Amino acid sequence: MNPKLRRLLPRLLLVGLILGLALFAPLLTDQDPVKMTISERLQPPSADHYLGQDEYGRDILARLLYGARVSLAVALLAAAAAGVIGVTLGLVGGYFGGIAELFTVRLTDIVLSFPPMLLALLIVTILGPGAETLTLVLTILYTPGYARVAYGETLSARSVEYVEASRALGASPFRILFRTILPNISGPLIVQFSLTVASAILIESGLSFLGLGVVPPDSSWGLMIRAARGYMVYSPLPLLWPCLALTVTVLAVNALCDALRDIYDPKAAREGGLLQAARSLVRFPVAGEARRAEAEPAEDAQVKVSDLRIEFATPHGAFAAVDGVSLAIGRGETVAVVGESGSGKTMIGLSILRLIPGPHGSITAGSIALRTKQGDVLPLEQLDEEALEEVRGRDVAMVFQEPMTSLNPVYPVGEQIAEALRRHHDLNKREALAKAIELLERVGIPDAALRVRDYPHQMSGGMRQRVMIAIALSCTPALVVADEPTTALDVTVQAQILDLFQHLRDEGDSDLGLMFITHNLGVVAEIADRVLVMYCGRIVEEGPVREVFRDPRHPYTRGLLSSIPRVNQATGERAPLTAIPGTVPGPGERPQGCAFAPRCAFAEPRCSVEEPVAHSFAPGRSTRCLRWDELGPAAARDTEREITQEAGQ
Amino acid sequence: MGGGGLTTYVARRVLIALGLVYIVTTIVFLVLHVIPGDPAMLLLSGGGVDPSAEAVAELRRKLGLDQPIFTQYIDYLAGLLQGDLGNSFQDDHPVAAEIAKRLPRTIELILAAALLSVLTGLPLGTLAALRQGGITDRSLSLVAGLMLSVPVFVTGTLLVLVFAQKLQWVPAGGFVEWSRDPIRHLIHLLMPAVTIAMGLSAVIFRMMRTTVLETLQQEWVRTARAKGLSGRSVLLRHVVRNALGPVLTVLGLHMGTLLGGTVLVEYVFNWPGLSGFLVVAVETRDYPEVQGIVLVISFLFILLNLLVDLLYSVLDPRIRLE
Amino acid sequence: MTTSGNAPATTIVEARDLTKRFRASGGGWGRRAQVHAVEQVDITLAPGEVVGLVGESGSGKSTLGRLMLRLIEPTEGRIRFEGEDITDWSQGRLRPLRRRMQIIFQDPYSSLDPRKTVAGLIGEAFAIHKLYSRRERRERTVALLERVGLSADHLERFPHEFSGGQRQRLGIARALAVEPRFIVADEPVSALDVSVQAQIINLMAGLQRDLNLALLFISHDLSVVEYISDRVMVMYLGRIMEEAPARDLYTKPRHPYTEALLSAAPVPEPDVERKRIILEGDLPSPMDPPSGCVFRTRCPYALPACAEAPPPLREVAPGHRTACIRDDVL
Repeated sequence: MNPKLRRLLPRLLLVGLILGLALFAPLLTDQDPVKMTISERLQPPSADHYLGQDEYGRDILARLLYGARVSLAVALLAAAAAGVIGVTLGLVGGYFGGIAELFTVRLTDIVLSFPPMLLALLIVTILGPGAETLTLVLTILYTPGYARVAYGETLSARSVEYVEASRALGASPFRILFRTILPNISGPLIVQFSLTVASAILIESGLSFLGLGVVPPDSSWGLMIRAARGYMVYSPLPLLWPCLALTVTVLAVNALCDALRDIYDPKAAREGGLLQAARSLVRFPVAGEARRAEAEPAEDAQVKVSDLRIEFATPHGAFAAVDGVSLAIGRGETVAVVGESGSGKTMIGLSILRLIPGPHGSITAGSIALRTKQGDVLPLEQLDEEALEEVRGRDVAMVFQEPMTSLNPVYPVGEQIAEALRRHHDLNKREALAKAIELLERVGIPDAALRVRDYPHQMSGGMRQRVMIAIALSCTPALVVADEPTTALDVTVQAQILDLFQHLRDEGDSDLGLMFITHNLGVVAEIADRVLVMYCGRIVEEGPVREVFRDPRHPYTRGLLSSIPRVNQATGERAPLTAIPGTVPGPGERPQGCAFAPRCAFAEPRCSVEEPVAHSFAPGRSTRCLRWDELGPAAARDTEREITQEAGQ
Repeated sequence: MGGGGLTTYVARRVLIALGLVYIVTTIVFLVLHVIPGDPAMLLLSGGGVDPSAEAVAELRRKLGLDQPIFTQYIDYLAGLLQGDLGNSFQDDHPVAAEIAKRLPRTIELILAAALLSVLTGLPLGTLAALRQGGITDRSLSLVAGLMLSVPVFVTGTLLVLVFAQKLQWVPAGGFVEWSRDPIRHLIHLLMPAVTIAMGLSAVIFRMMRTTVLETLQQEWVRTARAKGLSGRSVLLRHVVRNALGPVLTVLGLHMGTLLGGTVLVEYVFNWPGLSGFLVVAVETRDYPEVQGIVLVISFLFILLNLLVDLLYSVLDPRIRLE
Repeated sequence: MTTSGNAPATTIVEARDLTKRFRASGGGWGRRAQVHAVEQVDITLAPGEVVGLVGESGSGKSTLGRLMLRLIEPTEGRIRFEGEDITDWSQGRLRPLRRRMQIIFQDPYSSLDPRKTVAGLIGEAFAIHKLYSRRERRERTVALLERVGLSADHLERFPHEFSGGQRQRLGIARALAVEPRFIVADEPVSALDVSVQAQIINLMAGLQRDLNLALLFISHDLSVVEYISDRVMVMYLGRIMEEAPARDLYTKPRHPYTEALLSAAPVPEPDVERKRIILEGDLPSPMDPPSGCVFRTRCPYALPACAEAPPPLREVAPGHRTACIRDDVL
């Protein structure tokens, strides 16, 4: 069973049990909760009175059970009534906007601007205490909560594409509200309901405790506590029973609420899954039992990765995101790592800074040898966190994909650059800021001296990405890993950033090694000297960009290149698109043998059995295909026709 | 936008708060009039016996109910502006004077409780997040869940039973003026403040835990690590610092519950603040007093929320520079 | 302009002076800020024609697509569909028309209701328009699934059980269920992996041809648009910059923005040396677009005269129109 449901079930049962006890109170005890027997006041538990008797000799068990009925009835009734009114208001206000919106939002704002307890007391003053007054008061108090949740959820659901799709199909507003939106926001509403019940029980018992809620001789937990307070020093039991009942009930509803929220709230859901990164901050994973290759300094290589294997622990067992990858990036060289989502390309980039999100993910084999600026070669896979912190930013830096989220929104950009500078250099604040302005100028930000004080949200995506690049370059590292640095940008801005990278490499720091991770073959062609093509955690083909693009020797590379729509500039003829059939297998679905075989037009039976090894067939070129030699430029054309016809369907 | 952003933001927030003050004032006025039935009759019929016609007429005159509603409203507003909240039914003393005497004690209680909650909730929430799933996290979360579920008056009553009456470590309640004896003043403050802080601390703990967990997932944390910052600086500068804003918002949302809690806690501990006094006023159905206290506490509520908003804008530049 | 009633059969949908200004959110007090999403756009599609709409983010291309379907209400301008002016029709009156115009979305994750099965998702179209009997609906759904490369086995599955490409196929099937004549496809392949993109482009091209659909294909990807479109329109900051048959536009762009856009797009051909025009700066805010030609602030050829009035689209070759006053440079 789903672990979340497993958490939910016992809580649901407990709440059900409490409700059952209240509902069947007359069957569970034959004692009368209001019958007084003054002679038997404050008697301890006995065979007739399992929990003893109170100050008027009334049966405590009966009063507890009947008290639950009143408390729960008031809470449930108010929560339900408020729910119906509030949800209707919120749905209508959120979907239609205009007057309905104004009404909903303002009305709820007003009620919410009173502390709830006070509003309740104000009304009680006039109407006098009693269960009916309480229900009315609680309904008024809780309607805005529902309206707000329903309003907010509807507002965001309204612009979701599937709601737009319903509108485009001609669905009526009524249908959209109740058939499409309501089911999709029912999760948060159920959570709101349980929250409201818990809160209503608290307010009801609180008011009764003050003598302003349920009126005697009716029973209520709050009233029982109020009465028992007077003699608790001599006889604490009559006090403890209702305290316990009240606490357990609220606890049960709250616990149910938490479990429901886990199920319905996507935020909470995310928390459960990936979040283990948290712990890596305090206890960084060290690749302990990794099978370590000797750190062999490659001639002139800034970084040399050998037989790298990165595994992730999942509920269904471990899977290798990266499996036996070897690569080297030379001084001043730009190497592109290209692949689709799930190919493991980002993990390779992160592993070079040892930033793989732990503890689920870890390097289980292989080595990463990094040449520092001083010329030492460091075996990164063996370093502890403290040593890694020295290396990060100084010898190797990284530029991430999303300039929107990769900068901290609460600090000015200058401060974020200065922070990196001061980490590795002995600079005071002012010197670091002056250097930051220089860097901003270098990455092409106009008015750098002014912009240095800007916060990230005051800048455009392109500008932010320039700031990220400035941070990466701040300590003049020998190697920069850029993970899809232009993917989130518009075409014209992408061109600016690519231009900046070329400029930095050509004129600024010719020794700078660059690892450029991307899914865009056009970008590869523009920027890289060499390209590594990845599929399912492996490098399937490698070579100089021109050669690989002109004469790909792996069916996957060939497929990628011919998936790009092209029109013959001279004739205007549209070359048929050769789609690769199927999809990238998910983690744990990797087939035996060659991972690409099921989608490959060249696959033979042996491909699903035998795992191809990287075959180096020319200087600097290699491929992981059993049939590489049949994939010459001439052989390709005929087969492509066939694939087109198959993939067309 | 530059430097003007913050001033504009503050001005806007203050204006909104003033608007709310006006609305709250009007609503409090209207409550008496929208409730079906003759309010004077309702207020007097508490004891079970039908009030005499003279008594009702007398009360109507006292409350000004014999005037046209508009005149009443103007009189009410004019009175408020001069700090006149009417006179108590019970002893005919001005309500405003009584409130002025008691309000500081309630504020003191709230501040003490808030301080205790922040000092415990923030660090423990961060700790639990960093140890997510571990034994520390589980036990802390369990305790927090429990503290959230125990009503304040139960906590208060049980604390009195154990620490005041059984162990006799602290007084069961009451109050000593700071000017008379600061030490005893603080001793009397301790239990009520702790009682309120238990629930509030649990709220802050939970929110801090969730927010820190969320913030740890943010990409700027990865950027910070990629710069080579130590785990400690990353945690303090890029995680905890960013988590404070959302936690503060939640604190603002819970302000209402907090103020409601003071009503019960002051009652339990005989703390002679404003909220506890409200209970007496409601019991005796002393409408001018109830109305005055509700107004003042609502103003306090609006003020506290305003402070939270302003503090938030200091913590998060995105708010003030929008 | 045609008079009402008997519009020529050569257009299926036609919009004139279409304008949409959104009230800016959060702006608050005092200044009434407006986002100029779409300004004075004329657009016409013939039956069976594929028009590509290209632009960067913030150009208003998605808004234009939704305006033409009246999913968003225009601020100004008229929309005619199959000869009838539908600008002022109520949503109720539009309902039967929604069978003939449909939309395909970008995000295959948010465009399918997560709580409906495939049968429910596609069946909704039939239910809304009260089409067919229960049995027929099922048969139709299966036929549609097969048409887009899925099968009857998928009927009872939920969207989360499908890959991105398969979900996009479902989105296409839903749009086709009501047998539309006109489809707006809003970035239908942008969220997909390269290898899957080609599958969906092939599928859409095939369906368009077989069903003779009029297709407004919105994308920021120039090569995809070039591949699928008969005619291409280039948008910048809410206005049409240039409009031409696909081949003309790509080989002989007549607007500086088109020229820059084409030269900025990375091409997967390392052997081709290309002159690249790098535009300065960023897109201006659509809340405060430049006076005159909106592109002038980034245009390498801008003159003082460009700031005076927005240049109208002029015909410079058969079917080729550009909104630039500088005939001398391109």
